[in-house]
Amino acid sequence: MRVVWSKHSAKKPREAENMEVGDLIKYFGEDLFIPNLRAKNKDAVLVEFANLFVESKIVRKKDLILELMQKRETLGSTGIGSGVAIPHGRTTATLEVKIAFGKSEKGIDFEAVDKKPVFLFFVVLAPPHDENNRYLPILGKLVEVLNESKNRKKLLKVESFEEFIQVFEGIE
Amino acid sequence: MLNKQLEFLVALHDLDMMLKDIEDVKALGFEAEGIENLREAREELIKKIRKPLLSTYNKLQGRYKRSIVPVKDDVCLGCFMRIPTQLITRGRSDQDVILCEGCGRILYWYD
Repeated sequence: MRVVWSKHSAKKPREAENMEVGDLIKYFGEDLFIPNLRAKNKDAVLVEFANLFVESKIVRKKDLILELMQKRETLGSTGIGSGVAIPHGRTTATLEVKIAFGKSEKGIDFEAVDKKPVFLFFVVLAPPHDENNRYLPILGKLVEVLNESKNRKKLLKVESFEEFIQVFEGIE
Repeated sequence: MLNKQLEFLVALHDLDMMLKDIEDVKALGFEAEGIENLREAREELIKKIRKPLLSTYNKLQGRYKRSIVPVKDDVCLGCFMRIPTQLITRGRSDQDVILCEGCGRILYWYD
């Protein structure tokens, strides 16, 4: 199943309509940016991101978020197709909403819905009940942005956090 | 090192939220057909938690939206009561599972 908000498919989520692309930028961080993932497989990707969240002091206990992401994948792959995965979860282990980004040059088998390798990873962590209840709108907006081929192409080329932010600033 | 029982409780809390979120996440277009996998994982997790703690957790889940709450700047973010000093020391050391004296929720220290 591929996520496509077209006239032929599911309605665009209402949550995503209330959020601008620019609103996503504040949830990214240079310390949560990996231009070239070292991981070569699905498990290693999740470990690499879990380590990143600990190193960035977003969470203090790696096992909790690693387990969270692994369990989420047992529910169904967060690889939504077209080379994109959006692992996500709400956890008591974090105080704030954060999005980590990672890019793989060669692509990683993430058991995506279209069975194709994943190149772009966005990992969304949120507390159970964040103040503005932004978790679902963020997920919805990310899906919407990444559903656009031109956005994916631009993101595949980014080498620095600055370039990454510029891509998001340029999305209408 | 985080108290194992507290770690299990936090994992259970996260899992319960994931189960609650399934329909919302599906509505966004994500694949979420493995609900049985999550339920099995929950059953396994429950076996690791001491019964009195699990009972406390279940009672709190019935009473509040979230039964485990963070402590920030020595304040319970569930009821915003300042945590007594002796509890802060015990909580920070991660040796015990600490309940807030104000609201009874399970406390989780971030730093």
